[in-house]
Amino acid sequence: MKQDLLRLRQYLPKKMMDLRALGLIVLSLILWDVVISPRAAMAQDAAAPGGFLGGIEAFVQGIVDILNLIFYFKIGGENGFPFIVLWLVIGAIFFTFRLKFINIRAFKHAIDVVRGKYDSAEDEGDVSRFQALAAALSGAVGVGNLAGVAFWMTMAGFLGMSSKLAECTLGQKYRVIKPDGTVGGGPMYYLSRGLSAMGMAKVGQGLATMFAIFCAIGSLGIGNMFQANQAFAAVSNVLPFLGSLSWLFGLILAAIVGLVIIGGIERIGAVAGFLVPAMAVIYALACFWVILVSLPALPSAIGTIITTAFNPEALAGGAIGAIVVGFQRAAFSNEAGLGSAAIAHSAARTDEPVREGTVALLEPFIDTMFICNLTAIVIVLTGVYADPTAADLDGAQLSAASFAQVISWFPYVIAVAGFLFAISTMISWSYYGQQAWTYLFGESTVNTYKVIFLACVFVGSVVNLGPVLDFSDIMALAMSLPNLMGCFLMSGLIARELDSYMSRLKSGEMLPESEPARSVVLK
Amino acid sequence: MSWLKKESVLVPIDFSELSYQAIAPAKEFVESLSSLKLIHVLSPLHPADPAAMWDSPSDDERKQKVKKFMSEKLSEIGFDNISIEVAIGEPTGQIVDYAAEIKADLIVKPSHGYKVAKRFLLGAVAERVVRLSPCPVLILK
Repeated sequence: MKQDLLRLRQYLPKKMMDLRALGLIVLSLILWDVVISPRAAMAQDAAAPGGFLGGIEAFVQGIVDILNLIFYFKIGGENGFPFIVLWLVIGAIFFTFRLKFINIRAFKHAIDVVRGKYDSAEDEGDVSRFQALAAALSGAVGVGNLAGVAFWMTMAGFLGMSSKLAECTLGQKYRVIKPDGTVGGGPMYYLSRGLSAMGMAKVGQGLATMFAIFCAIGSLGIGNMFQANQAFAAVSNVLPFLGSLSWLFGLILAAIVGLVIIGGIERIGAVAGFLVPAMAVIYALACFWVILVSLPALPSAIGTIITTAFNPEALAGGAIGAIVVGFQRAAFSNEAGLGSAAIAHSAARTDEPVREGTVALLEPFIDTMFICNLTAIVIVLTGVYADPTAADLDGAQLSAASFAQVISWFPYVIAVAGFLFAISTMISWSYYGQQAWTYLFGESTVNTYKVIFLACVFVGSVVNLGPVLDFSDIMALAMSLPNLMGCFLMSGLIARELDSYMSRLKSGEMLPESEPARSVVLK
Repeated sequence: MSWLKKESVLVPIDFSELSYQAIAPAKEFVESLSSLKLIHVLSPLHPADPAAMWDSPSDDERKQKVKKFMSEKLSEIGFDNISIEVAIGEPTGQIVDYAAEIKADLIVKPSHGYKVAKRFLLGAVAERVVRLSPCPVLILK
């Protein structure tokens, strides 16, 4: 393969004038980064680094180092706040204050809306609000949130509700309804259309392109290789014989995802869309059961979570380190500030952008504040937290070991849940990534993206990810850079929309039938 | 010149101005508008697209909406009652299949529908149609 690529590289400069060749270069570079280098990493584990493969890994590591320097630039010294995490925190705090604690104010209204109290059949769009929420949640609920630096994740989830509302409101407002009635939406659209409406067309175009690049690459990490890796950990935890058969697991996983995204077997996607909320409910019930069994110990467990939040022994960097890890995990878990959920929420049938935003603010609540805290309480309550033999466990293994203390067969449920969460997250992210890819390269090359995506599913299950995962993680977090930048610029507009909506809601004029229909945008 | 006239001429429409502009030259080859057929190929939805997950809008609804959208646009530019086919799938395959199905004598197509910046990716459809078509293809420049 590497020789093929070398030949390709020698051949390419001659054809540089042909734009088609440029496309090939981009593709080969992506292949280079994503497919080849993990093998390089694996080879390096087996043998001494050096030669060509070692060179490639050093090359990827070099890129990661440069990206780290830009995005993980630590503000405040050695143990300071990485820039990109601080950016997410500032975004979440900014919108919480700018929108006057909308995460609390609109909470009850959000539940009313999801229950269908404000539905109107005449609204333009594809699916109902509950359906859009389920679609977005199946992307957000992943194995990542079965672990936790719980207190700070809770804070991040609470604040993230506001930035989620902001981005999903914009997603609805600047979506495009195509001639076939389907909806195109998300940061690519609101950054370019929204900012151009404010007379900043160039800035908008630039931010939208930047977002699409980060999203297309980031989808291969956070929404793919990381998920495949975690799914393998969750399943091999209960089926130890799979431990040495990671290639088989990778093939099966890639086959399932491939059936959905290339084979177009929508049923699997729909089934995952139903199963994920169901699994979340089962999981929550099991948590309640464990809590009920050891109820007297609950206050001290909560005490432990809060004291360790400010004085963590296990984490480098003290409380700041815990905050950084908490916010970063929360971002991977509920995606608030990254802009990805706005893509799914744009499709909801509504003519009130703010209403969709209020629905979206439930996601960080369910996903991060609720599920994560339950998990943390279970881990502390069952004593696994303090058990020295559990020190090596992480993520899904840790929660599986905790549940096993009370419900012996529950690790199997966690394995199934982990597997399903991973599949639904991968399918959702392949959609986000494909939308971004289409924005950059047009529809005719989506199959190229899908093939790259499937290759990454396999690679993610098989190898120790190292620098490649670092690379795509940074890209995923970097999505927040153009996204929140655009949201900041349009925050005045979001606040005005929100004020108008809330005052109409209070005055009682917001009955389902009396809404004026918005004009449909045709592309 | 009637010996030059064709029974059935196909014009693929991708909603670009250039593709609509191909209708006029295509009309030169036929006796009446009824011999002119248009096709638009929709791409299949990603299974995680909320619209696909909940089958709303369904494929049939998408086709109907596109037909309505196209016939409105066509009557704006002075072509009423042209037969419109809407297919879902990969553009080249669908265009070529439909040409065989209606026994088209000619396909008329601009060399690329989109703006020049996207040329390197989209001109390919015209190229593949030429290669796979069951009938002569007129590429407009």
